[in-house]
Amino acid sequence: MNVPMPEPIIKVEGLTKTFLSRERKKGAGRKKKEVQALKAVNLEVLDGEVFGLLGPNGAGKTTLIKILTTLLLPTGGTAWVNGYNITKGENEVRASIGCMLMGDRGLYWKLTGRENLDYFGALYHVPKADRAKRIEYLIDLLKLGDFVDRTVETYSSGQRMIVAFAKSLVNDAPIMFLDEPTVTMDVPTARELRRIVKALNDEGKTILYTTHLMHEAEELCDRVAIIDHGEIIALGTPQELKDSLSHEDVVSLEGIFPEATVSRLRAVPGILDVAVTAGDGGRTKLDVMVENSRAMLPRIIEAVTGNGATVEEIRPKEVTLEDVFVARTGRTLAVDTRVVGEKAVRGRGG
Amino acid sequence: MAAETISRGFGLGRPSGRASFGVIWSVFKARVKIITRYKGAILLESLIPIIFAGLPILLGTAVAGGEQNAATNFFTYTHTQTTTGQPLTAADFRLYMLMGSNTFMVVSLMLWLIGYWVRREQETGTLEALYLAPAKRFYVLAGVTSYTLVRSLMAFLVATVLGSLLFNVNPLNGPFGAALLYLLLGIPALWGISFFFGAIVMRIKEANSVIQLLQWVLASAMGVYFPVTVFPALLQWTAMVFPPTLMTDAIRSTLLPIHSIYGEWYVVLGLMLTAAWLVPFLGYRFFGLIERRVRRDQGVGQF
Repeated sequence: MNVPMPEPIIKVEGLTKTFLSRERKKGAGRKKKEVQALKAVNLEVLDGEVFGLLGPNGAGKTTLIKILTTLLLPTGGTAWVNGYNITKGENEVRASIGCMLMGDRGLYWKLTGRENLDYFGALYHVPKADRAKRIEYLIDLLKLGDFVDRTVETYSSGQRMIVAFAKSLVNDAPIMFLDEPTVTMDVPTARELRRIVKALNDEGKTILYTTHLMHEAEELCDRVAIIDHGEIIALGTPQELKDSLSHEDVVSLEGIFPEATVSRLRAVPGILDVAVTAGDGGRTKLDVMVENSRAMLPRIIEAVTGNGATVEEIRPKEVTLEDVFVARTGRTLAVDTRVVGEKAVRGRGG
Repeated sequence: MAAETISRGFGLGRPSGRASFGVIWSVFKARVKIITRYKGAILLESLIPIIFAGLPILLGTAVAGGEQNAATNFFTYTHTQTTTGQPLTAADFRLYMLMGSNTFMVVSLMLWLIGYWVRREQETGTLEALYLAPAKRFYVLAGVTSYTLVRSLMAFLVATVLGSLLFNVNPLNGPFGAALLYLLLGIPALWGISFFFGAIVMRIKEANSVIQLLQWVLASAMGVYFPVTVFPALLQWTAMVFPPTLMTDAIRSTLLPIHSIYGEWYVVLGLMLTAAWLVPFLGYRFFGLIERRVRRDQGVGQF
């Protein structure tokens, strides 16, 4: 029997977004600068899948999500969500989606969690009787009972996050946009939320999930797009993306490395790329991508130690989605490493 | 494309009138709940116009050397014409000031509450959350403006009662119901101006400095302490096309035995009816224009 191919529930065609930003440089006055946040992005999200959007800060993922959720207007191109055009059918698009885009922001602190859910339920035109049932269901599903009748101002940040997540579910929309939903949650709560996201997906909801946590993406996502500098640079299932690097190995080193170490490593034939992650107390982590880790290990050690580095740990590593990103961009995804990473890229001419 | 075949979830399709009213009611209810959780806010703001009215009464008395002298000088030099031919009294002077400052408070609350609302929602992220919902902006704004209306009217009534007791005047001697009707008729124009103001706040992402400045411009333009006929011609005509000036004048000329600066009562009524649909129409269009521009730039959530 032929299983029909799921159809795209989100379709993006040549989406472009250009911002005008003002630069304030001392002595130079104010200058306007064009920033191209999205460069002709094409994308399809299939009905019923969990689709991960990965990328470092400033890559363009929030801009893409804001355009798809009608918060921003595109400069060029267009998109359809649930069959509705994002500029011509704004209200239909909004009715088709549930969003958690701003972490624990977007709640009224002087209202209780229940009052917030009721308020937003009304804004989504959920009938009053259904709203009451839906809220009870969400309180039960997300275990909000202990605090839902207190004002939000008394909540911990984790509790606010979970109520914000409940808010995104209040209209029981077929499509959900979740932007870093676990960012301030403790480990057990984040795990529970991921379990619920998976369960919602099993019920048939399509989920567009952005994260910079690779394990989350690998655990949840059916397909993943990696976005960088406003362009989709990789797209596929997590396994497909990792398989694309299967001819490559990663050797991970931790220790204290002089500045020239990265350029020394990159000069070694057979080393494909080096990603740098800054740690505490001057410690650094280097992920070195090579074609054959066993053969290359002596040369890596020679390049590093010959430069006066202190190596505390050296180990081979399984290929992850992070490595896919590193292979494509020469940088890591971690927010606090972007500057270090960018410097390294420049050294490599990338 | 999966297209319209997928219609799970609430809110797809055209919302009913009941659902749209539900949006207005929910926004209104939420605003009321929030303000009542700030203890004493409404009572305290009702005291402001009493202080505002007290200042010119005391100053006038001090300058003229007596309250009746102050009243006589004021009405003479502002060329205020009586309807009865009888001289205006000190009580008329006090009521003139009280009604001016009470109306100013209504105007001020109606305008600033919208400005502060936009700014606060922008800062807390709830404005972005509102824009993610399919509820039409018109109904959300209707909910907020209904709340500002109720809050302003409550403050007006409390201030009128307290002020009347304190200044020993009786507004019920005149047709208070008709004055209240003029106040209500002036409200739609205030909504319209508040849409202009809300749009500016959304665009420039700042409310305090604009409010600080406009507070005094507004007080002068609408003639809180004097009829705008004391202005030079150009300024006078500018002030007279400002709807709050019309509203203040209509209330005063109804409660006190004085002529409106606009002419006969039917002229005043006609102008008020025109302002009641024209200003909200223009204000809402302006809000939509700015909103679209903001969405083309950084988005409504940028603060």
